[in-house]
Amino acid sequence: MLKILWVLWPSFLVAGIAEGIFFTVIDPQELYLFGEPVHLSKIATYSIGFFGFWFVCAASSLMTWYLQLGATDLNKGKGGVAQETGIRGKT
Amino acid sequence: MTSIPPIQPQESRPHFVEESLYEVHKKVHPRAVSGIFATWRWALVWFTQLVYYGLCWLPWNGRQAVLFDLVERKFYIFGLVFWPQDVIFLAILLIISAYSLFLFTAVGGRLWCGYACPQTVYTEMFTWIEQKIEGERNARIKLDAAPMSARKLWLRTAKYGIWVLLSFWTGFTFVGYFTPIQNLWGSVWSFSLGPWETFWMLFYGAFTYLFAGHMREQVCLHMCPYARFQGVMFDPDTLTVTYDTERGESRGARKKGVDPQSIGKGDCVDCGICVQVCPTGIDIRDGLQYECIGCAACIDACDQVMEKMNYPKGLIRYSTEHAIEEHWGWKEIIAHIVRPRVIIYSAILGAICLAFVWGIATKANLRVDVIRDRASLAREVEGGLIENVYRLHVINVSETPHRYAVSVSGLDGIDMVGDRIIEVASASAKSFTVQVRVPQESGNKGANQIFFDVKSLADETVSVHEKASFLQP
Repeated sequence: MLKILWVLWPSFLVAGIAEGIFFTVIDPQELYLFGEPVHLSKIATYSIGFFGFWFVCAASSLMTWYLQLGATDLNKGKGGVAQETGIRGKT
Repeated sequence: MTSIPPIQPQESRPHFVEESLYEVHKKVHPRAVSGIFATWRWALVWFTQLVYYGLCWLPWNGRQAVLFDLVERKFYIFGLVFWPQDVIFLAILLIISAYSLFLFTAVGGRLWCGYACPQTVYTEMFTWIEQKIEGERNARIKLDAAPMSARKLWLRTAKYGIWVLLSFWTGFTFVGYFTPIQNLWGSVWSFSLGPWETFWMLFYGAFTYLFAGHMREQVCLHMCPYARFQGVMFDPDTLTVTYDTERGESRGARKKGVDPQSIGKGDCVDCGICVQVCPTGIDIRDGLQYECIGCAACIDACDQVMEKMNYPKGLIRYSTEHAIEEHWGWKEIIAHIVRPRVIIYSAILGAICLAFVWGIATKANLRVDVIRDRASLAREVEGGLIENVYRLHVINVSETPHRYAVSVSGLDGIDMVGDRIIEVASASAKSFTVQVRVPQESGNKGANQIFFDVKSLADETVSVHEKASFLQP
């Protein structure tokens, strides 16, 4: 549960900041979606934008969490290196 | 050169971080407390929440006084209207908030966390409801442990029900700052809320419920970025909630009226009430900890105990590291408030505040953007004149409608075709096309600087002198 929060919470905060900056500078009506002007209402664009930012930021947080797993975490349960002793084959 | 340390077989990664975080956390049931700091905390609850729940209902010039109109991309704050172009003010406001936080923290520790942070304020409100319905700390602990019964079901339903109502109202109010709240209120009753408005209302309400009802101190301990770096603003002269170890130790129970020194004890009677009232469940007697949000509930609680024991108050008190070491009183503590860190923060804060006020006071009531029509560069029209076409975007930032006179200058014989008087409603913008004509012999070949003047007919001081370039072929 906490790992999920580690990913979702920081990305939520950063998404909020990104949303604020992005839509301050850019009017939603200036956006194009697949070559067509965005026809959604502004509230809808803002909302979808926020979730877009959140999703991207969460992907980044997930990557961080994934890459900072240590050797012991990755070796766990693979039958290769015995993680507790660090010596192969000792049983 | 220092010698290279021998390589040691690496021990397996310690898991204590995870384990301590994964520890099944014991629910903190803070004991209710009264006293001067509790009164301050409640005063702040009332103040911030009256502002939050009330401000969005305040009318102003026939509209909502404070409205962040995302659809129109205009922020109304009383008499001021902010456009996206005014983002600099938002940036300055954020800097002011940050420096205020630095200054307050350097002087008084976690004042923000303890008294004004929404997390603290809503937790205080939700805990109060919980206490009114389920009873005091001991009753709540007992109820938690008790098996489900009709009484428990009823108490829980009542508590969660009122929490949900309060959360929903909080979410509704939040959306009411972005959509005019009167219309929103009407939509609620006619079941015609927009899908996104409904969504954000529930989203914000659900977060309020979750954070203030269930997560509480967990938010401060694990989720708050500020809690993690506030320590860097601290120095030995920062006021913090401090336990006077020298006076308190060794702690222990004793009979009332016994002189602690005669039995080799300090003033702490080890009643544990300071721990029971703590909303984050720590023991302040262990020293300054990042978990301490500086709410001073333990000060109030300990003072009551000291009073009962006929000991002087302030075994736990607001004090500084230096003051405890050097046995300073308030006079010396106050004398040490003025120090380089505080002076620097104050100077920067003062300068930015002045810049902000000056910027707001001199904020232009009229803005004009001139965009040259790139489709038709320059063309010859009747009478041997050269014509360039421009789009003028006139933004009336003020709260009253204005009629503006438009004129052009900068080249011999320059003139314009198009509206010379335009009317722009309050807090809105208008775009229109202007054809500027210049005799062929006027100016140089290529780009020439010209000026558009837009002046209010009602108020001569409201005017803009905007440059543009005129292309001579």
